[in-house]
Amino acid sequence: MSSTASQPTDAGISGFGVDPAMKGRRAECDGGQHIAGTKLSGRQDFAGTLTGDYRDYGPYPWRWYLMAELTVKPAGYQFEAVWCDSGSLVLSDE
Amino acid sequence: MSGPLHTQLCDKLGIEYPVVAFTHCKDVAVAVINAGGFAVLGEAMHTPDQIAADIKWIRDRIGGKPFGIDLVLPASVPEEKTVEELLAMIPRTHWDFEQKIKDKYEVPAPKEVPNLHQWGGLDHKRALAQLDVVFDERVPVFASGLGSPQFLLDRAHQLGMQVWGLVGKPRQAKKQVDAGTDVIIAQGYDAAGHTGNIGTFSIVPQVVDIARGSKTAVIAAGGVTTGRHLAAALALGAAGVWTGSLWLASRESDVNLQLKERLIECETDDTMYSNCISGYTMRTTRCPWHDEWNSDAAPEVLKPPLQMMLSANYIQGSLDYQRKDLMTEAAGQGIHYVTEMKPARQIISDLVDEAFDVFDRFAAD
Repeated sequence: MSSTASQPTDAGISGFGVDPAMKGRRAECDGGQHIAGTKLSGRQDFAGTLTGDYRDYGPYPWRWYLMAELTVKPAGYQFEAVWCDSGSLVLSDE
Repeated sequence: MSGPLHTQLCDKLGIEYPVVAFTHCKDVAVAVINAGGFAVLGEAMHTPDQIAADIKWIRDRIGGKPFGIDLVLPASVPEEKTVEELLAMIPRTHWDFEQKIKDKYEVPAPKEVPNLHQWGGLDHKRALAQLDVVFDERVPVFASGLGSPQFLLDRAHQLGMQVWGLVGKPRQAKKQVDAGTDVIIAQGYDAAGHTGNIGTFSIVPQVVDIARGSKTAVIAAGGVTTGRHLAAALALGAAGVWTGSLWLASRESDVNLQLKERLIECETDDTMYSNCISGYTMRTTRCPWHDEWNSDAAPEVLKPPLQMMLSANYIQGSLDYQRKDLMTEAAGQGIHYVTEMKPARQIISDLVDEAFDVFDRFAAD
């Protein structure tokens, strides 16, 4: 599987790379985010295959993985991939 | 202190009653804390400076008692686009439908156009900057209203803070319990806003079972507005309740008066689980915007954040001109029991008295 990760440009990134152990793993993501400019939030579910690409944010670090080949995604979701917080990922091939 | 309302949550926080108020209003938070409950202030939409100011404001009024701050950590993020790119993605048909609704209901234009430049999405940098304030201030409780707080547990615990996580699925609870989250808020479908699709009566005991044997306490969320709900939550194994809608129409709440009146009028089936406000499914009070998007004439609801950009002028206009007939607010199914504008202290007292009555009745049988 080829990586669809763009080069990170966000200054908040403290690290990035490819984790071979996660590459090709099937996973589900209990996703969602705050709706900017409001006090509301929304949940979104995804399922697909991890590319192995990761990005770390902040000092903790807060790790995110790229999920592609999406088999579950919200109606109308127009992207081919989604970045998922590692704590919100469930590996489905374990 | 002992008794049926003295739970693991009371011990964890040093509070009198296992009642947590989730609110966006500082006055409500202070009133609940000073009445023996606990409050978590929702700060997701605030800047780091605003959060720091709010923390100081609360601390100045609660005499060393604990409190919490809630942020919404992103759990999934698509590629970012500019506001202009996003606006260009909204089809003409949808703008026409929005205009038709505004014409039909004489929706006033907002006094200030909503700042669309904030609408492209929430990036990690902003979330990290908000978290820095929470850590710098050593807020006693950090609550994550959506994403997993797993990554920040070590740092928070080193600083003596508790970390709470709100979940809508048992598997999310399992991950958070395994990671050492201090309190899990098991949120049912009855709740306001971004709920999961499992009912409160079903998710709470499942999460309690998952947490059994760990140090994690579980509190119940979703439709909790009476002492009977509190007693039922404790009977399900929860250590307390997380309440939101209960405080919207309280005397201290900064929700505007017209909207408070609307909330008091609302029945359970006036709350709608719909994606027509933002593109995400969420529970909000019914208004003409819902009715029109449920009609046969409505186009397909757009994906986030486009639908929110489409609804922004309607919502802001209804608030700016206090049009009760147009307003909507995130509210849970327990709104039926929000029937008057009471002071927060009275709400706590009523809740606790009714819960004690329930336990007394069982004890007497």
